[in-house]
Formats: sequence, structure tokens, C-alpha cells
Amino acid sequence: MSNPKKPHVTVMRSQLSRARGLGSGQAGVGHWWAERASAVALVPLSGWFVIQVFRLAGASQPEVAKWGARPFNTTMMLSLVILTFYHTQLGLQVIIDDYVHGKAHLPAGLLMKGIVFLLGLFGAVSVLKLALAGSSRSTIAAR
Amino acid sequence: MVEFRLPKNSTVGKGRIFTAAPGASNVKNFRIYRWSPDDDSNPVVDTYEIDLDKIGPMVLDALIHIKNDVDSTLTFRRSCREGICGSCAMNIAGENTLACLKPIRDIEGDVAIYPLPHMPVIKDLVPDLDGAYAQLRSIDPWLKSDTAPPPDSERRQSIEERAELDGMWECILCFCCSTSCPSYWWNGDRYLGPATLLAAYRWIADSRDEHAGDRLDALEDPLKLYACRTIMNCTQTCPKGLNPAKAIGRIKELQLERKA
Repeated sequence: MSNPKKPHVTVMRSQLSRARGLGSGQAGVGHWWAERASAVALVPLSGWFVIQVFRLAGASQPEVAKWGARPFNTTMMLSLVILTFYHTQLGLQVIIDDYVHGKAHLPAGLLMKGIVFLLGLFGAVSVLKLALAGSSRSTIAAR
Repeated sequence: MVEFRLPKNSTVGKGRIFTAAPGASNVKNFRIYRWSPDDDSNPVVDTYEIDLDKIGPMVLDALIHIKNDVDSTLTFRRSCREGICGSCAMNIAGENTLACLKPIRDIEGDVAIYPLPHMPVIKDLVPDLDGAYAQLRSIDPWLKSDTAPPPDSERRQSIEERAELDGMWECILCFCCSTSCPSYWWNGDRYLGPATLLAAYRWIADSRDEHAGDRLDALEDPLKLYACRTIMNCTQTCPKGLNPAKAIGRIKELQLERKA
């Protein structure tokens, strides 16, 4: 019957059909642009953060708390944290698109986004805690 | 997952050595990938000691000399031998290029010659480019215009409009660029690759074409277009000195431009 030496052909779909595939996903522009815009925004934010870290080197805990309670610093820190993790998520998605194929692709992306979301939220909550706790402590001290 | 290792039946073994004739003074070793579908064995690298005084200056001259005078079983594509047909595209000394345009003297030490990377091999240095050709076909690489041409003349372009096509019409479709691109290696089933995207932009940029929007629609895809990670291997390797990465960048700019 069938020749055991001859491999069984499972795909006889034409090359053009394979090349056209499922057509265009009508997506990608937003992701591509968000990646670049967030990268540009992170340049001044990261520069500012590095300068602040050097300025605060050796500072006492109350001094750092006071620094973190200033609305300007809180705004900058929240921007930095949110944009960093947003950008991380965009970039890791690219790596998953490149290297994880087939059925694992969707769960890998979801898992990555979940982890990055929680890490980002943890960073944001920490910044807010510093901001809000600092202000309440100074209120108590003022009394 | 992506394949970081060669499959077992693709690991390359040591092949035969064809020694140069005694008395040859200007000998260079050509280490050439060999694989035949006719037996069940793995690919090997054969070594040919070639007297450079007996052949022309290009790598293709050495290959033709080997096929004519040393080992007629060596299989490769070639036609025009002057860089316009794109047939003799292969990986020479680690770089995709045309054997007919690559001077042997530019290569230090042994000359390693492999087929274009990450494509199925038909035999020796002949890759299967059917998938790449089908991808080119999928972007409709021809003029699409609803306005009838003038009855008594050709469709006209200004000098400036014609200049827009410079750097693109010269592409000879050798696919050196696409097969040098890691994104194309990992996602070649969906990513169109630099050669096809350069051709796509060639028609988007053509002032006589009236379907730029449809063409951009067809390319707006996370992998077909955006799997380009601006690695730039395409531009670095192009034997015709073209810049596919720039064309891909222009397509991305146009995709953004029409969103706002």
C-alpha cells in the first residue's frame, strides 16, 4: 500500500495560501508607537530619578520620607513607575512574539502581563504610601 | 518555541578533501556545504583546494571551476554572473551575498560557503525559496490603477516622483536580506521579510499606483510588518547596496501617519 520510506505529507496547502495566511491582523501600529513614545518619555524621567538617588545618598529615613511626600516628587515617581512597567510589558511582548510560537503564545503573554502588572502596582502603591504616610506623619508632628 | 539548535538530521559533518594539483602555488581552501536528498546522510562540508592562478577573481569563478574541473556533483544556482539575476545568492564567509560579486581576495583564510540561512535546502547550495516567492506574490507587486492610462501614451510621472523609486527598483530579489534577518528566521511563516517589504513600499511609493491604502491595510499586522525589529542585517548584507530597513521604516511611518 503506502511506501513506509516515503514521509506522510500533512500540508498540501499552496504556498500562496500559506503566505496570505489569515490576512492582516489590523494591529501593530499602536504597539509600535507606544513602545517608542514611552521610551522617549522615560529618558528625562530616568535621568531625573538617577539625580535624585545621588542627592539622597546618605540621607536619613525622615529626610527621604519628606522627599517622597512632596507632590512634585510623587508625580514624577508615579510617572516613572507606571511608564517603566508599561514599557517593560510592551518590550517583553515583542520577545514572546519572537520566540514563543503555537499554543503557548497566548498564555505566555498573559502570564507575563500579569506579573508585570503586579510588580508595577506594587511600585505605585509604595510611592503612594510614602507620599500619604509622610503627609499624615507631618500632620501629627505639627500638632 | 524557536529552534536554537539544528535538528539531528541537519548537523553538519566533515566531508571529503579535494587536494590541489602538485605544483599549485596560489592555493586557497573552499569549504562548501554539501547535502543531497538522494541518500539518507547528514550534510557535510567538503574542502576544495583551489589554485587561484587558474580561475577568475570572484567566488562564482571558483564554484564554476569546481563544477567543471573538480567535482561535477556540486550543485548551485547561477545565471548572469554579473549581479543582475540574483541566482547565485549564498552565504559566503558568514555573509549573504552574490557569489558573482564577491571577490575571493576580500576573504581572509578559508572560504566557507553555505546556502542562504534558515531556508529548506533542495541540494548543496540551492535553497527552497518557494515560500519567499509566495510572500512576494501576496503583496501584489504590480501597478494597480483604476484610472485608465492615456490612450496615446504611457502613464506619466514627474522627475521627482520617479526619483522616489530610486533605491527600490534596483532590487533583484536574491533574498540575501530576508534570509539574513533573525526575525525572518524565527517568524518567516508570517513576517514578510525585508525583500518583500521593500517591494511593497516600491508600489506604495509609486505615484502611478492608486492602491496605497489597500497595500497599507494588508501590511498592518503585528508580524507581517511589525516583526521587523530594526536589526538592520538586511541593509548590511544587501549585495546591491540597497536599504530595505529604510523602506520598512517608511511603511511604519505611513501606518502611523494615516492613523491621525
